[in-house]
Amino acid sequence: MATSAAIPTNAHAASSEQTGLWSWLTTVDHKRIGILYLYTALFYFLVGGLEAVLIRTQLAKPNLSVVSADFYNQLFTMHGTTMVFLVVMPLSAAFFNYLIPLQIGARDVAFPRLNAFSYWVYALGGLFITLPIFWGLAPDGGWFGYAPLSGPTYGGGFNMDFWVLGLQILGISSLAAAFNFITTIINMRAPGMTLMRMPMFTWMSFVVQFLVILAFPVITAALFFLQFDRFFGTHFFEVAAGGDPLLWQHLFWVFGHPEVYILILPAFGLVSEVLPTHSRKPLFGYNVMAYSGIMIGFLGFGVWAHHMFSVGMGPVADSIFSVATMLIGIPTGVKIFNWIATMYGGSLRFPVAMKFAIGLIAMFTIGGISGVMHSSPPSDLQQTDTYFIVAHFHYVLFGGAIMGIFAGIYHYFPKITGRFMSEKLGEWHFWLNFIGLNLTFFPMHYSGMLGMPRRIYTYDAGQGWDLFNLMSTSGTYLLLVSGLIFAYNFFSSRKNGAPAGNDPWGAPTLEWSIPSPPPEYNFAQIPEVTSRYPMWDLKAPDRTAGIAHSHADAGVIAEAHAVPVHEETERRTAKELGIPIPFPTIKPLLVALGIVVLFSGLIVLHAGNFPLAMATMLGGGAFMVGSLYAWLTSPLE
Amino acid sequence: MPKLHLRRFAPAAALVVALLVLAACGGEYPNSTFSKHTELNEGAVFIWDRMMLLGTIVFVIVEALLIYTIWKFRRREGGPAPRQIHGNAALEITWTAIPALILVFIAVPTVRTIFENQRKAPAEALQVEVIGHQWWWEFRYPQYGITTANELYLPIGKTVNFSLRTKDVLHSFWIPQLGGKRDLISNKVNHIWFTPNAAMEPSALNGACVEYCGTSHANMRFRTFTVTPAEFEQWAAHQKTVAIGSPAAIAAAAAADSAAKAAAKSPVVKTASLVPTAAPALHAAPSSAPEVWVFPAEKIGPHAWPSTPLPAVAFDESVLAAGDAKAGRELLTNPANLGKAPCLTCHVIKGETNYATDDNARGPNLTHFGSRHTFGAGLFRADAKALALWIKNAPAMKPGSQMPSFGAGEYNPLIKAPVPAAAGLDDKQIADIVAYLRSLK
Repeated sequence: MATSAAIPTNAHAASSEQTGLWSWLTTVDHKRIGILYLYTALFYFLVGGLEAVLIRTQLAKPNLSVVSADFYNQLFTMHGTTMVFLVVMPLSAAFFNYLIPLQIGARDVAFPRLNAFSYWVYALGGLFITLPIFWGLAPDGGWFGYAPLSGPTYGGGFNMDFWVLGLQILGISSLAAAFNFITTIINMRAPGMTLMRMPMFTWMSFVVQFLVILAFPVITAALFFLQFDRFFGTHFFEVAAGGDPLLWQHLFWVFGHPEVYILILPAFGLVSEVLPTHSRKPLFGYNVMAYSGIMIGFLGFGVWAHHMFSVGMGPVADSIFSVATMLIGIPTGVKIFNWIATMYGGSLRFPVAMKFAIGLIAMFTIGGISGVMHSSPPSDLQQTDTYFIVAHFHYVLFGGAIMGIFAGIYHYFPKITGRFMSEKLGEWHFWLNFIGLNLTFFPMHYSGMLGMPRRIYTYDAGQGWDLFNLMSTSGTYLLLVSGLIFAYNFFSSRKNGAPAGNDPWGAPTLEWSIPSPPPEYNFAQIPEVTSRYPMWDLKAPDRTAGIAHSHADAGVIAEAHAVPVHEETERRTAKELGIPIPFPTIKPLLVALGIVVLFSGLIVLHAGNFPLAMATMLGGGAFMVGSLYAWLTSPLE
Repeated sequence: MPKLHLRRFAPAAALVVALLVLAACGGEYPNSTFSKHTELNEGAVFIWDRMMLLGTIVFVIVEALLIYTIWKFRRREGGPAPRQIHGNAALEITWTAIPALILVFIAVPTVRTIFENQRKAPAEALQVEVIGHQWWWEFRYPQYGITTANELYLPIGKTVNFSLRTKDVLHSFWIPQLGGKRDLISNKVNHIWFTPNAAMEPSALNGACVEYCGTSHANMRFRTFTVTPAEFEQWAAHQKTVAIGSPAAIAAAAAADSAAKAAAKSPVVKTASLVPTAAPALHAAPSSAPEVWVFPAEKIGPHAWPSTPLPAVAFDESVLAAGDAKAGRELLTNPANLGKAPCLTCHVIKGETNYATDDNARGPNLTHFGSRHTFGAGLFRADAKALALWIKNAPAMKPGSQMPSFGAGEYNPLIKAPVPAAAGLDDKQIADIVAYLRSLK
């Protein structure tokens, strides 16, 4: 960190380098926002994890009553909602924020204040949907919120209010962030960085942002309908008045299936950074890796109804969605093979990051194979809504997304903090995590195929499920232990970890050319990129000899302000370098607060206090508009 | 480092694998989806076997390649610098084409089976209407004029065509041993049909709701009894009739009770002798009353006898044995008692003066309640004690139950207050009602 001894005259610019609560509330620096996302998402990971521990404790044996039926239903609803919207997506967002500008050689994202806004909407929206569990009012209609159970007739309590409104709040965050990153990636790449030279993480992030802007409007529309049904007496899903509960399912899964790829593709991107670095060998089949990501994203929109084979859509629709789903296996399989080929012939070392990356390949393969198994409706009809499905998507999301994110955390921790995480504790974390995950989720394949339904708070003895459930529960406790080891490692290594330089792993991409942690301005001079692996061009040119470079003579720079890629070791302030830095501002936080207050008014309305509800909504709305006006009329930098 | 850790965890991992393999080989799996009792399951198992084979091959190849690569190319001191390969078009086309080819072998039987399973059901099929309720199952046999609940009788060797609908939220109908599931959708009638294999033994199977449907989703279970066609006809002929106190019914009940007592296997019977030996004929019985036939209790395996724990609701068990069916009937049917025992405003008992019809009844049809083995959507054995507790305080036995507590002084979540002593039933009255219900063979 820049010492505050060198106080620049521009106080605003300096404050983003300072610490203290206020600096975190007002920061617009993509790196600090990334860190905020990381910490917040890890907090919610603990919340969602503890929910899972309670769920599994209740299911350890038949006929237990550790929690009540209603509370269990809240737990499984919130476990799913939390892990999808408050953990995996924001953990990915942490990396989008931190890495995308660094990987493309930019000084920040396109809209730094919008970026802060995205974070605060997420953080406050997360509290909005999480806190009610302490009053027994947490959402209880499943993370999928099927109508009519989620509607006013059968779900008349406050519980699903928080879900309907909370997800809309979180959607604002995701959409704002997605537009921001698309603009950033399209407009702010360093000179010479063509699309096909972008690091694979940035590529996968780019695909994900398009999935977000195409999928989230669909769930938003569905939630809007449901909100109107619940609060204003419309009948989109109210059967008695002619509404259609299947409309909800279609809308939900048109969003829900691409959402799966929104969750997994960033992890694929992270692994695609980790594997080449620790194999000392470039990513095998870069083009195919990028195209398969696009292909997965594209096909992901055409398979939603495979979540609905049991609703009776008729043989033609069943067949089409079945075959389309099988097709997704192809680009996914290509990725697996290309990762293995990346390692094949390399010189592999196995720090914890690499172990998690390999863990993803090994575990995701299992989830991928079981995924193909339920693409076939005759077979899926025996699998859907059983623990077999729970096993499948935990191999994909825990074995895939979470392992990939852990790989990313261990890999980028030195860049973010300037220090290594403890490899020794990391080993314990990895192996306990690996065993715990298999012990928890593998037996679920058995319990599912042996007839155990999902989402049941209890089950009878003598069904042949006892052993598998006990194994799953034991595994969950192992996962809890491994998670606590990780948390200790993470927090203690920030201060006590061994110092890491600019480029501790010998990685090929631009983010490793600058100091760790990076200065607020990222790059003192914007580098001109001439190949896909600029840092290897610099340090190990033999590795990049075989790929195309834009200049035969590396000394010739086309862009006036750009300089050749180089390692920056000197740390100065933005002011000294004359680099304009956006002012920190509290306004995005205030706008986010206004939005949450505005939505809260509907809860008050449901409680029957009309004047207070109007006051809350008008007050929140006015506060939001006022803060937005102040934001838009104040200069960026 | 990695070797050390692998060694440390290998025994644990081996133990887990061994346990899973053992579990897969031995053990009783009463709800296994792999039993080929119907054409649906034969199709599903055929595709499963093929996918399992291909999937295992893919799994072994991928993981073997991965492990080989990790081992072979681990960094060694002074090892050679890796060859820098950026891709290989031929290889990449190969591992795109091979999975595509594998998928063809899955897609072809899949599509064929989809169209086979979703043909129109044969016209001569037995029709069964399945109606979902939060949280129990209504079954109707329109060809026989039977309405029953939570226990489904199916003739072996005969195609059954189910029409599925729901009175409230979505549910899903599933008997794992007999085939895949089909959802109950609020605004349409769904269909599924299958044929219990002629070769299958008469058996008691479990079914469940598998679409999350609210508080007691876990408690929305049912039993399926596959029986011989002759037994089915016998059962149906009896179910069609009116049960109320026919001498045949009472005699059969008494016989069944003493037989079960003799078997002394089931705690059900120990609780009480439910039907008074000299039970008065409440109705004059038609001389041609068909004999009662129900699936024999001794053929029901342990998996189909529920073991749901009973709640800590106090009940004076000594009065159970003295339950008087006639007094119980009086409680239910005399309009003067409607405030205390409004049973027939939500339930239908064919032959009594009902306040509800089959179409608007909120609770199960109880016409032949005494011939059922379980109640509460498969949650409890239909024994006297469980029944008494249920009438006294159903919400304590099944969270969210729409049937309120009727026992005096019991907390009733529907009104968020205890049932006033004057408006509630005492233990003796409950015992009488239990006796009456159990006489409805």
